[in-house]
Order: sequence, then C-alpha cells, then structure tokens
Amino acid sequence: MIETRGLSKTYGRGVYALRDLTLTIDKGEFVFLTGPSGAGKTTLLRLLLVQERPTEGEVTVGGRNLARLTAAEVQAYRRSVGFVFQDFKLVPRKTVFENVSFVMRVLGTPVEVQRRRTYQVLKQVGLQHRLQAYPAELSGGEQQRVAIARALANEPSLILADEPTGNLDPDLSVEIMTLFRDINASGTTVLVATHDRSLITLTGRRVVHLEHGQAGAPA
Amino acid sequence: MRALRYALDEALVSLGRAGRTALMATATIGVAFFVLGGFLLVLTNLQRVVEDWASSAELSIYLHDETDDEARDRMAERLAGDPAVAGVEFISKAQARGRFQRDFPELADVAEALEENPFPASFEVRLRDGGADDAGAIAAAMEGDPSVADVRYDRRWLSRLSALVAGVRVAGLAVALVLVLGAALTVMAVVRLSLQARRDEIDIMLLVGAPYAYLRGPFIVEGTLQGGLGATLALVVLWGGHMAAGAGLGLTWQALAGTGAIAFLSAWQALSLILAGLVVGALAGMVASRGAR
Repeated sequence: MIETRGLSKTYGRGVYALRDLTLTIDKGEFVFLTGPSGAGKTTLLRLLLVQERPTEGEVTVGGRNLARLTAAEVQAYRRSVGFVFQDFKLVPRKTVFENVSFVMRVLGTPVEVQRRRTYQVLKQVGLQHRLQAYPAELSGGEQQRVAIARALANEPSLILADEPTGNLDPDLSVEIMTLFRDINASGTTVLVATHDRSLITLTGRRVVHLEHGQAGAPA
Repeated sequence: MRALRYALDEALVSLGRAGRTALMATATIGVAFFVLGGFLLVLTNLQRVVEDWASSAELSIYLHDETDDEARDRMAERLAGDPAVAGVEFISKAQARGRFQRDFPELADVAEALEENPFPASFEVRLRDGGADDAGAIAAAMEGDPSVADVRYDRRWLSRLSALVAGVRVAGLAVALVLVLGAALTVMAVVRLSLQARRDEIDIMLLVGAPYAYLRGPFIVEGTLQGGLGATLALVVLWGGHMAAGAGLGLTWQALAGTGAIAFLSAWQALSLILAGLVVGALAGMVASRGAR
C-alpha cells in the first residue's frame, strides 16, 4: 500500500527531517509511527499527503509515485485518503453534516447518498445525533470523532492520523484508538503517528520507530 | 455546474460576512464606472451635437465690393446647380450692415457713423444633409474665383471641435481606465482579505482534496459580483443624474446645442458597462484567488 525507497527530506541548509527511509506498509495493515519530537513522523505524513515533496528517493501509495502527481492529481489522490490531525481541522462555519459530506458534495454524490453515508459514518463514531451542530459546540473528543467520520466518508483505502489523541484525555484516547482498530478491521490501512506508548501497547500493532529521520529499533 | 453553484453559494455567504468592506469595494468600483459612464454620456452627446452641426454646416462666400451683378448672378447660378447645395441666399452690403446693427444694437451707431459700409456682400450656402463632405470642394473652387474675397466654412471649426472632442475622449478614457484599475485593485484587496480570513478553511479543503474550481471559484464569483454590482450601481446613479440634468438643464442644452434632449447611454453601451464591471471584477477575483493553493 505504502512504499518508500531511500526517502529523504531536508529543510534549510541540509538539515535532514527524513534520511534514506525505506519502508513498506501492506494493504490492510495497522501501523504505529512513533519516535521523539523531530524524529520525522510528521514529515513522513506530510509527504504522504503531498504537502511536501521528497528531496531524494520516492514514496508510492497504491502504486502512485506521489512526487510525480500534478496539482489536480494531488487533489484527486487526497480525496482517496482519509486524514486525522491532532487539531481536528474542521471548518468552523460548517455543520457536522457539511464537514463530513464535503468531499462527497465535491464529487457530485447524489444528496440522498450523501445523507445516508454521512449518517452511517457518524453513527459509526457515535455522533449521529449531532448532525446540525457546529464544531465549536462539540467537545474535543467529539470534534476528533467528526474528523474521523469525515476521513471515513469517502471509504478511503488508507487513513493517516497525526497525533490524533494529542489533545484528548486518556479515556477519550482509548476510545479513538478503538475506533481506528474497528476501521482497520474492515480492511482499511491505518497509519497513526503518536508518541503515546501506552496506546501502542494497548492496541498492540506493528510499530515503526523513527529517530533522526531514520527507522530503527525503539530505545 | 456543481462547482459554479457551490462558488455562488460561498461567494454570497462571504460577501454577507465581509459586510462594510465588500460594500466599500463595490462603491469604489461604482465610482470608477460612474466616471467612465459619465464620460461616455457627455462624449456621446457632444459627438451627436458635432455631427448635427456638421450635417447642417454652411458656407459663407464674401465678395469683393467691385463685383458686378453679372459675376454675382453667374456665381449664384453655379452654386444653385451644385448637387450638394440645398439653398443659396445673397446678402447685400446693406443687408449685412442691417444684420450687424440688429445683432449688436450697442454698436449700431458706430456702424452708421462710418462713411463707407465696411460689410461685404456675401452668399450664404446651405448644404444638403450629408453634403457637408462636399463642402470642402465647393469652398476650394470658390476661393479660386477673382470675385471672392474670402470663404468662411463652418466645417473648419467643426473639424477642430471634433478633434477636441476626440482629445477629450482619449483623456477621459485614460482617467476612467486609471479609476477602473484602482477599483480592480480594491476588489482584489477585498477578495484577498476574504481569502486570508478563510485561510484555515482553504487549507482544510486542500487537505480533503477539494478541486481547484471549488477553492478558487468562490473568490472569482465574489469579485465578479462586486464588479457587476458596482457597474450597475454606477448606471443607476448616472440615470438619476441624467434625469436631474434633463429637468434642470434640458432647455439650456437644447438652446445651446440646437439638438434634442440630452440622450442617455444606448442599451449596448449600458450593457457593455455592466459587462466590463463583471469582467474587471472576475479578473480581480481571479488574480486574488491565486493565493488559494
């Protein structure tokens, strides 16, 4: 599903955020990306979302070389990937329904299908009763669940999550991880960047440890 | 179509949120188009007057005092036979002095006191509609006649007036274009402000894979709406001004210009102004929305 070969990313005067990273994540896998701050977790996710381009090497997702995508192709690719961030990234002036159904709207999905699918994914995250609420009216945990629902709406084959529990208390964090595990159980590849070892231990899945931009064994 | 509808919805919401700022931008573009439309209105009417005057232009052919009756009759016949001539009137020296005394009563005594009548006899030649173009040839032929002292030809000063109107048109258009450019920059600034205010939202839309038509479309439509509204507003105010001017200055204008009432812009001119507003706004929105990526 995800393959990186000799992937490097430098910033400024040759400071490596990622260095010669070679990594393979199979379809349907659940992988934790861990490591200390500055290890390159976020950089890898940014490369996978094509927010950055590699300095060297290549990164492919589902056979697509991300460095070769045009601007329009990048947008089409992003529509096939679900993402979840620490700060939720919900559009404040749109309701829960509008936030979740946006990609379907853009793709011209019939309104009835949009409604049905939005309700379905919100039910999956336990928020079907908050369809008309605005993000500001929701708790942090609820906002993150809306973000997960949005990521699921378009039935992506890959979900990327960057510190998805960073702003949540331990109980909510477990709840969110359980959701990711359920999503993965339905066949979706999930890559979660986190430095929360307790969650990793609790979930018990493959761990890729990054240190100084390179994959290695955890300390 | 879907993207256009989305862009329109979002643009209306954004304009509503921008409130006074959007209103200011619309007013600025309105002022620019008011000036442009005003120039167009004034120039159209001036042009009409010049054309009216040109079509009814006259030739005045002044004769030497020693011209005998035979030469005068020959000339009258020659002029009357010209197809470009609608009518010929002979003004004798005495009639010319009488006309001067009538037109300038305060100088009537001076004209009377002169021992010799200084006013020359003349032919006043009225030209047919459209015959004004042939007037130059008639004037040139008459100037070669030994009986003729001078030929005064309205067309000469009309040409100068026409050139002046053309000069005013160029200057006016230059001023209006500068104003329109200023208005476009204002629209750009407002669209940019709106874009900055929604930066986070645009970043999120980028991340969820929104196509560029969805990202930039609302800003282009926002600029287009502001431009079109501004130009329409300018036309409405111009129409009001035209009605007021017609009521206050209509008779004076008719007396001065000798033409009908002050005309408003033609339908295609009005339509062109609105279209120009839409295009200016759209271009400003398009340039400003380049930041949405």
